[in-house]
Amino acid sequence: MVGSPVFLIAIPLLAAFLIPLLGMVWKELVRIVPGLVLAYLTFLSATLYIDVINSDTIVETIAGWRAPWGIDLVFSPLTGFLSTIMTFMGFIVWLYSYRFKRNVEFEAAKKYFIFLMLLVAASVGIVITGDIFNQFVFIEITGISAYALTAFYTGRNSAEAAFKYLVMGSLSASALLIAIIIVYAQLGTLNMAEIAANIDNMNVEYRIIAMIFFIIGIGVEAEIFPLNGWAPDAYTEAPGPVGGAFAGIVVKAGIYAMVRMMFTLFNISGPMQILIIIGMITLIIAETSALRQDKLKRMLAYSSIGQMGLVLVAFGMGTQAGVFAALFLMLNHAIIKPMLFLSGSYLEFNTKNKYIKEITGMGKKMPVVSAIFVLGALAISGLPPFSGFWSKLSVLTAAADENMILIITLVLIISLVEIVYYFRVINRLFFFDYDLEISVEPHKPGWNGMVALFVLAGIILFIGFYPSSVTGFLDLAARDLMDTHDYINNVLQLGQSIIQ
Amino acid sequence: MDTTELIRIGVYGTSILLILIGLYAVLTKRSLIKIIIGLSIIDGGIHLLLIGIGYIKDGTAPIFSPGSENAVARMVDPVPQALVLTAIVIGFGVTAVALSLVIRLYRHHNTLKIDEIKNLKW
Amino acid sequence: METIITILLIFFGGAVATYFLGKISGMLRNIIFLATLVIPAWMFFSTISPDMVLELEILGIDLSIGITPFSYIFAIIVLGLSVIAGFYAVKAMQGKENLNFFFANYLLTIGAMMGILFSLDFITFFIFWEIMTWSSYFMVVFTGKEVQKTGIRYILFSALGAYAMLMAIVLIYTTIGSVNIGDFIDNFHLFPTNLKWLVSILLLTGFAVKSAMMPLHVWAPGAYSNAPMSYTAIFSGALSKMGVYGMTIVLIMIVQQIPNGYWIKEVIAWLGGITAAIGTLWAVKQDDAKKMLAYSSISQLGYIIVGVAIGTPLAMLAGLFLAVMHGIFKSTLFMVVGAIERQTGTSNLTEVTGLIRKMPWTFLAALMSIIALAGIPPLGGFISKWMLYESLMGSNHYLLIIVIFFSSTAAFLYCYKFLFGFFLGQEEKEWSHVKEAPAMMVVPMLILAGFSLLLGVFPGLILKPINEGMQFLGYVSTDNRFWEMSMIFNDWGNQVVMQPIFYTIIAIFLFFLIFLTIKGYKTTRYVTTKDISSSGEIPREEENLTFSIGFMQPFFRAVAPVMKRQMSKYYTGFGKGMEALFDFTRRIYTGNGQTYALYLVIFVIILLLFRDSLF
Repeated sequence: MVGSPVFLIAIPLLAAFLIPLLGMVWKELVRIVPGLVLAYLTFLSATLYIDVINSDTIVETIAGWRAPWGIDLVFSPLTGFLSTIMTFMGFIVWLYSYRFKRNVEFEAAKKYFIFLMLLVAASVGIVITGDIFNQFVFIEITGISAYALTAFYTGRNSAEAAFKYLVMGSLSASALLIAIIIVYAQLGTLNMAEIAANIDNMNVEYRIIAMIFFIIGIGVEAEIFPLNGWAPDAYTEAPGPVGGAFAGIVVKAGIYAMVRMMFTLFNISGPMQILIIIGMITLIIAETSALRQDKLKRMLAYSSIGQMGLVLVAFGMGTQAGVFAALFLMLNHAIIKPMLFLSGSYLEFNTKNKYIKEITGMGKKMPVVSAIFVLGALAISGLPPFSGFWSKLSVLTAAADENMILIITLVLIISLVEIVYYFRVINRLFFFDYDLEISVEPHKPGWNGMVALFVLAGIILFIGFYPSSVTGFLDLAARDLMDTHDYINNVLQLGQSIIQ
Repeated sequence: MDTTELIRIGVYGTSILLILIGLYAVLTKRSLIKIIIGLSIIDGGIHLLLIGIGYIKDGTAPIFSPGSENAVARMVDPVPQALVLTAIVIGFGVTAVALSLVIRLYRHHNTLKIDEIKNLKW
Repeated sequence: METIITILLIFFGGAVATYFLGKISGMLRNIIFLATLVIPAWMFFSTISPDMVLELEILGIDLSIGITPFSYIFAIIVLGLSVIAGFYAVKAMQGKENLNFFFANYLLTIGAMMGILFSLDFITFFIFWEIMTWSSYFMVVFTGKEVQKTGIRYILFSALGAYAMLMAIVLIYTTIGSVNIGDFIDNFHLFPTNLKWLVSILLLTGFAVKSAMMPLHVWAPGAYSNAPMSYTAIFSGALSKMGVYGMTIVLIMIVQQIPNGYWIKEVIAWLGGITAAIGTLWAVKQDDAKKMLAYSSISQLGYIIVGVAIGTPLAMLAGLFLAVMHGIFKSTLFMVVGAIERQTGTSNLTEVTGLIRKMPWTFLAALMSIIALAGIPPLGGFISKWMLYESLMGSNHYLLIIVIFFSSTAAFLYCYKFLFGFFLGQEEKEWSHVKEAPAMMVVPMLILAGFSLLLGVFPGLILKPINEGMQFLGYVSTDNRFWEMSMIFNDWGNQVVMQPIFYTIIAIFLFFLIFLTIKGYKTTRYVTTKDISSSGEIPREEENLTFSIGFMQPFFRAVAPVMKRQMSKYYTGFGKGMEALFDFTRRIYTGNGQTYALYLVIFVIILLLFRDSLF
């Protein structure tokens, strides 16, 4: 055993607080230590995940208090899957931003890496915790570090974006707290498994109101419409790798919290209208808004929001196939969208206003980065033989299983919009002439960033050609989410447990 | 109606009133500072609500000690109080970040009016 | 059986190798490119026989690849054309930028087309279909002309078709639990009636886009004319046939099973007829040879669709034969235009004149192909058109005959315009420097032109595989009566070839050739443009004596009402409207943080109000 799930949260938190001290010893440590920590986390999470797949869910109780009295961490096929993706994406983001601001000041890099650590730790915390108040705390930590990262650049409009994010974030946190109060007042417990076990004892009216407040509370992180006004701004103004981290890590945690609440906490089975409706509206509004964007990152941000809408639709079907498809989408999105953000931020590194038209003809100046961007664009718009196709196919088959022909039609029509705006960018990159008046000098990418991009591109191609390499994991994770009974049993009776 | 019930209603009513006042401030005041104050008032209301659900008349501290084993029935629920402490700390952190952002915003835009700070839209 | 996989692997591996080794040297790239085309073609024709099947499993879905007698016909078109056009492309593209990308994409497209023909299940089919779509997209925008307009239109329509198909595939999969095409056809009668209609229409939409059928043809003129000509030869010649391939299967094997399904066939046939007529009219109007050929392709595909949709044995034979012929002669014509553009720098019919002496071999290829296109014996176009008319009469589609007849007659106008504009007319000083295209470009054109002559005289060469393919589709075996199906064969009895006409025509040609050469040798006098003694006045230097300026005005005045409404205008209007709408809706994100907070509160209230119906 290389460690236990609690290390996934404790070590990055510890590292975050040690980084300033280490920086006093040797400035380079500020950059190296986060990488080591994230690499270790990825390794730990992957090992635990394989362990969980082969044996049984790990339920870890903190400080010796068994559930339902203490806080417990649940490392199951689902949460293990997500936390592995998140830590891995955290590592990729670190790799990309290793030389970030190298020539500039040491202070900035220190803050950046501290908040990156906090962001990853808290997001993983959201996923693996088994206690709703604990989840609230992690959501808040994610929020605070995300505000700080959004406002990282001075002199741009980043503070404005961060402020909007903060207003929405703290309002939603209040809603989440209200929901927690309602649940606690009714059931007298904060443990997810115990709430799930006793949810039928709860007054129906209260249950629905609690659910509404939960949706509001988590919806801001999950970027559902109409709570996602902050998201395009934050994605645009945050540094490129942070945009990638939002898309690859934070949103995934938000979506997880949302579905865990719906599937487990309130133990709803069958199709969930609310998720389908919200998801569909989010998808449509976001994708159509992306069509007319003139800034690259903003377009990617809307696209990311739209994808999350689709994920919610797939979850909302409430079937094994639907959950499978949603998880597949999440996996693909977690890999492709950061890749687009990372390569996109190289492409527009030197542009003045970050307009798409300023990167015209970059395909000739930065062929490799542009090619990777194109690969990502093709993959995310669901063109075979890349990974996005398989997830789109599984969403559609899941919908067809439920006879939701309207949804299939809408999703496909929206995909057309998606294809149009991605192909407009591809055209600009490769098939327009390099125009000296509007195009800018390309930025020379560092080796670390290129390695990160190549790793992601490799994964996309690999999943595209061997989708069966991941379907087994996804299937287990989907089963895990669907089986509330098993979750309750595991947590309350401590299946394979570690007591510290 | 006994006093416990009255107090309970009073606490709940006050907290809901606070939340609504806060919301009013967030939604209608144009100054960033006032919006942050509104957020803090909402937080305050929610904390009050949280404390309110753990209230017991003539309650004692939830400490088991020799000689007062039969006080279990009168012990207040410790969990809401723990939660409230955490929530207050978090609220404090968020407010601090918010205020620092406001300083940045003021330096950049030279105004505190929220409807004048919308360079990022659509 | 492994040959199929090997062929696909060679294509895709070759594409990658072409790209990366091309960075080392251009020569190496060309060699690998040609090897990647020739080796699979050789393997295919030497070892593959129909009815090979291979099973794979991906994502819990059984995938199978193999080849059927029907796809064999199309494989012949694809491989034959791509090898010949490949040699042409190597020379034609010489000296252009980004060639590694071009050739790699070229191979990708061909590999994908072979994949489509090899796939026996819908998922494989769809994957290759989409690879074909995006690789051909990159070729459409390759030259960088009208990228945002034509390119986006092409990808949008292709994606529309592909998604219609995907939806059908998904519905099929959930209904019968299998994506195998054979299973689908066998179990189609189990589908509920409305699903039968839905699935057929969706599939037909998908294929109609690629075969440029009205009203989904608007992408085609731009896409065909903007791609490099050496690619358009494949694009129009082979890639559009993929739509025909799918459409035939759907019409014959699926729609047949729907009660009242013949309505679909009638509608498709009529749409095909209208496509043919409209395409021809627009082709006559074009002054750019590329655009003209693009519209001509649309109209020829219309004929093919008519034949396929009528679906009587003779009509099917005609349609498929025309599909092969069209692949041959239209590729040749696009290559001719490519050659002329390369030598003169323009493809405008009103600018270039009198190339007949400068580029005689190109002229020969163009002449043969134009004859085939116009449907004059003895070239292949004649036979297919004859069969088409005969089948339409046989199945009582008299009104449709009028449309088709009108369209073929009008086609003579652009055929004439093409030949006259480029090759005949007054020679001008501007083009006196023009030389014949390099041999590597001329020879492929001549080979293809030779094929259209060959198939015109020995139609049996291609009719036999078509006959076998049709038997696979469920047509009764014709045994020995095959040649009695059409009058045109009947007349010369039960035989494969039409030697009598062939010999007669050769004799006539030879006679005229000798006669004209001897006569011309004696009397021809080369004169300047001003030396026109017969016309009564002397034209000035700047006056262009080409007929192609203001060509056929009275005709256009007659058909003006038909041409006033242009499909693409409606689509453009619709697209603009949608963009404006989306531009309006995105204003929901006002940029004011307070508004977002207000949304949150409104959202809470809405959820609370509708909680009973939502949860």
